[in-house]
Parts: sequence; C-alpha cells; structure tokens
Amino acid sequence: MTLARIEGNVVATRKHPSFEGWRLLICQPIGPAGELEGPPQVAIDSLGAGLHERVIISSDGAAARAAVGDPKSPARWMVIALVDEPETGTRA
Amino acid sequence: MRLGTVIGRVTLGKTVEGLNGARWLVVSPFTRENFQKVSKAPVVSKEPSLVVYDDLGGGVGQTIGFIEGREAAMPFDRPTPIDAIDAALIDTIFYSPFK
Repeated sequence: MTLARIEGNVVATRKHPSFEGWRLLICQPIGPAGELEGPPQVAIDSLGAGLHERVIISSDGAAARAAVGDPKSPARWMVIALVDEPETGTRA
Repeated sequence: MRLGTVIGRVTLGKTVEGLNGARWLVVSPFTRENFQKVSKAPVVSKEPSLVVYDDLGGGVGQTIGFIEGREAAMPFDRPTPIDAIDAALIDTIFYSPFK
C-alpha cells in the first residue's frame, strides 16, 4: 500500500469487461510530506476520491478481483482509503 | 495499471503452448512528464519498454493501460507465463498535476 494523490482520471471504452462502470483514477504515489515517489498508477475507485485528494492505494489483486466481482479480472491497484491527515515525521 | 504508448508489435514464431496466435505490443511506459504533455505523436519515454499481451486490439501510436504482475495472467483458464496485459485502450486522459 502506498500514499498517493489523485491527479486525474482516464476514460476507456474498450477495456477488460470487469472495469465496466469503475472510475479509473490517476494516482501519483507520494511520501508522507507529499514528495513524489515513482510514476503514476491508474487505480479503480469506489470511494469517490476527489481531484488532488490524498488516498491510500493497494496493489492487492485478490481484493481488487473481489471488488469488481470477477475472479478472472486482471484488476490490481485499488483506492482503499481516503486520507484525512498523514502525520509527518523524519526519515530514519 | 500504468499507461503507455504502443511503439511496436511483436510476431512470435514458436511459443509455449497456449500462447499461439496472441497479439503482442511493445509499450513505452508513461513517466509523470508524459502525462503532462500527451501529444498525438507516439511518446517514447526513457523508461525501459516492455512486451504486453493484447486481446483488445491496440495499435501503434495508441495509449493503453497495462497491468503488470501476477494479475496479468488472471483472465486465463490455465497457467500462462505472461506478466503484462493490455487492460484498456485509453480514449481520454484528464490530468491536473498537484501544485
């Protein structure tokens, strides 16, 4: 799981049928202070995350398959929580 | 899923069982910079390109969403040695970088 910030969304007509009806959000992985960490991932979302909102995304494919209700879905990244306030500390 | 530009196709001769007749795309993954300026010309990033299994019909120059890892083989009935699959042909990208 990683902290991420929502930076947009994508629209795809032709896609794996299991993604039908799901929001596909562009999630930029970030550190606790908001620093960029790696390339953006596109994740499915059922929580209604808004633009520039901080979220936690998980790469658990089993949970994503359960969420879309298709055991043969390739779904992987999923928004699993909206962040209120991360507590920033120093890196050891 | 990550986004990438299709920069080529691969045709295979001899394959392991179960992969006969599949389509394969050579994909250049998007970096953060690619999101900011999506142009009509195919964008080749500095990221290493990869070969992606395709059953949606992606073509050279298109932007696709591909999934990497174990999950890429989930749509298949039997064990399949692939680790990247084309899961969406991207029509529109709305991107608004934070700050």
